[in-house]
Amino acid sequence: MQKFFSNKKLIILMLIIIVTFGLLAVSVNIKDKKSTPPVVQQVGNDTVSIVGGIFAYPTNAVKNASSEFSDLYNTYTENRRLKSKIGELAQNQAKLKVVQEENKKLKDELKLNATLTDYTFVNASVLSRSPSSWQSYLTINRGQTSGLKKNMPVMSGKGLIGRIIEVNKVSSKVELISTDNELNDKFASEIQGDNKNITGIVSKYDSDSGDLVMENVTSTKDVKKGQKVITSGLGGLTPRGLYIGKVNAIKKDNYGMTNSVYITPAAELRNFTVVTVIKSSVSGEK
Amino acid sequence: MDVKTRKITGQVIFILLALYLDGLMKWAFLNNMNTGEVMFIPQLMLMVLVMLSMRISDRRQLITYGIVFGLIYDSYYFGMIGLYTVLLPLAMVGVDHYKFLFVKANMGYEISIYFLALTFMQSGIYILERLLQQTKVDTMDFITFTLGPTLLWNMIVFFILYIPLANLSDWLVKYRRDK
Repeated sequence: MQKFFSNKKLIILMLIIIVTFGLLAVSVNIKDKKSTPPVVQQVGNDTVSIVGGIFAYPTNAVKNASSEFSDLYNTYTENRRLKSKIGELAQNQAKLKVVQEENKKLKDELKLNATLTDYTFVNASVLSRSPSSWQSYLTINRGQTSGLKKNMPVMSGKGLIGRIIEVNKVSSKVELISTDNELNDKFASEIQGDNKNITGIVSKYDSDSGDLVMENVTSTKDVKKGQKVITSGLGGLTPRGLYIGKVNAIKKDNYGMTNSVYITPAAELRNFTVVTVIKSSVSGEK
Repeated sequence: MDVKTRKITGQVIFILLALYLDGLMKWAFLNNMNTGEVMFIPQLMLMVLVMLSMRISDRRQLITYGIVFGLIYDSYYFGMIGLYTVLLPLAMVGVDHYKFLFVKANMGYEISIYFLALTFMQSGIYILERLLQQTKVDTMDFITFTLGPTLLWNMIVFFILYIPLANLSDWLVKYRRDK
C-alpha cells in the first residue's frame, strides 16, 4: 500500500480516469434531463457565441453569395418549372386566405383560443456547426431572452431541420434531424393521404440514402410515393402542420415485421444561413 | 504591458481564432448533411496547439492552455464536458514529453506529431462517446468514414498552412528575457 501511494504516475492516471468519467457522466445527465445547462456554462457559451458572431457574419455572407452563384446556374430549368406552378399558387393563396379567415371566425365562435396548428416564430442566424462527427449541432444566436425553450422545432426555408437541444441566455444549440441518435430527435408526424392521414414517428436517419425513416406507422396500405409528410402536433412542443418532406419508399425492416416509410427531407440541410424557431401556442405536457 | 504578457495575449488570440475557424470551416465548406456518411472534421485548434507545444517549454502553461481551451471547446461545440478538457492537455503533455527527441523542429517531424495527436484525439473521443452511448457507430465505420477523411483533410490543411502558422508561432513564443 505504501508503495502504491508513492507511485505518482499511477495516481495521476487514476485521477484522470475518475475526473473524465465524472465530468462526462454529470454533463451528459444535465444535457439530457435539465432544461438549461448550469449558469456558469450558459455565461461561457454566450460569451463565446457573441465573439463568434464577429467571425460568423462574414462567413455567412460568403456562403450566401456562393449559394446565389449555384442558384444562378440552375435558373433556367428552375424558372421553367416554377412558371408552371405560379398560376396554381396564386389560386391557392387566395383560397388559403379565405379559409384562414373562416377558420378564425369559427374558432372565435367556438371560443377556441389556440389549437395545435397555431404558432409564432423567431428567426435566428447560424453561428457555427460543431466540428464533431456525432454531435450534429448548429449554434444559433437566439436564446432564453427571445423565449426559446428546449425541444422547440427548428425550420429552414423549406422544411423541418431539427430541434433545440440546449438553450443559453442569448444562444442555443440545434440538433439536426440528420443525427442518428437513439434518444432524441423523434417527431410525431403524419402522411397526408387521399382519404385519411396516417400517423407515425420520424425517428431515424438513414445516412446511406440521406432519407429520414418513419416508424410505428399504423398501416402502409394507402401510402404512395410522393405524398407529403407533416408533423402531427401530438405530444409536446411541436405544432401541427410543419412540412417534413415527401415519401420516397416503403421498406420492411430486417425481420420483415414492421414497415418503415422513407422520407426525402424537404429542407436541403446545407444552403441556409438563417433558421426559424417555432413556438407552439399550445404547450402539451412535457 | 511587458513583452511576456503581450506574447501570451497573442498566443491566446491565435488559439481562439483557430477555435472559431474549426466551427466555421465545418459550417461553410464541410457541411455535408444530406449525404452524411463521410465526415471531415476540421481540427485547426489542435494544429495550433501542437505547434505551440513544440515551442513552449513551460509545461504548466501548456496544461493551462489545454484545460481552458478544451473546456471552451467542449461546452461550446459538444454540450458535454470532459472530452477535449481531458484529452487535449494529455496530448499536449505527450508532445512536450517527447519533443526532446527532435533536434530541430521541421515540417516532417511536426506533421507526423500532428498526425499522431489527431489520431489520439479522435480515437479518444470515439471511445468515450461510445462508452457513454452518444453514438452507435462501429469501429470499422469510424475508421473508414470519420478517422480516415479527417486525417486526410487535416494533413492537407497542415501542408498548406505550415509556413505561415510555424512562423507565427515562432514569433509568438520567442522573446528576449533581458528586460
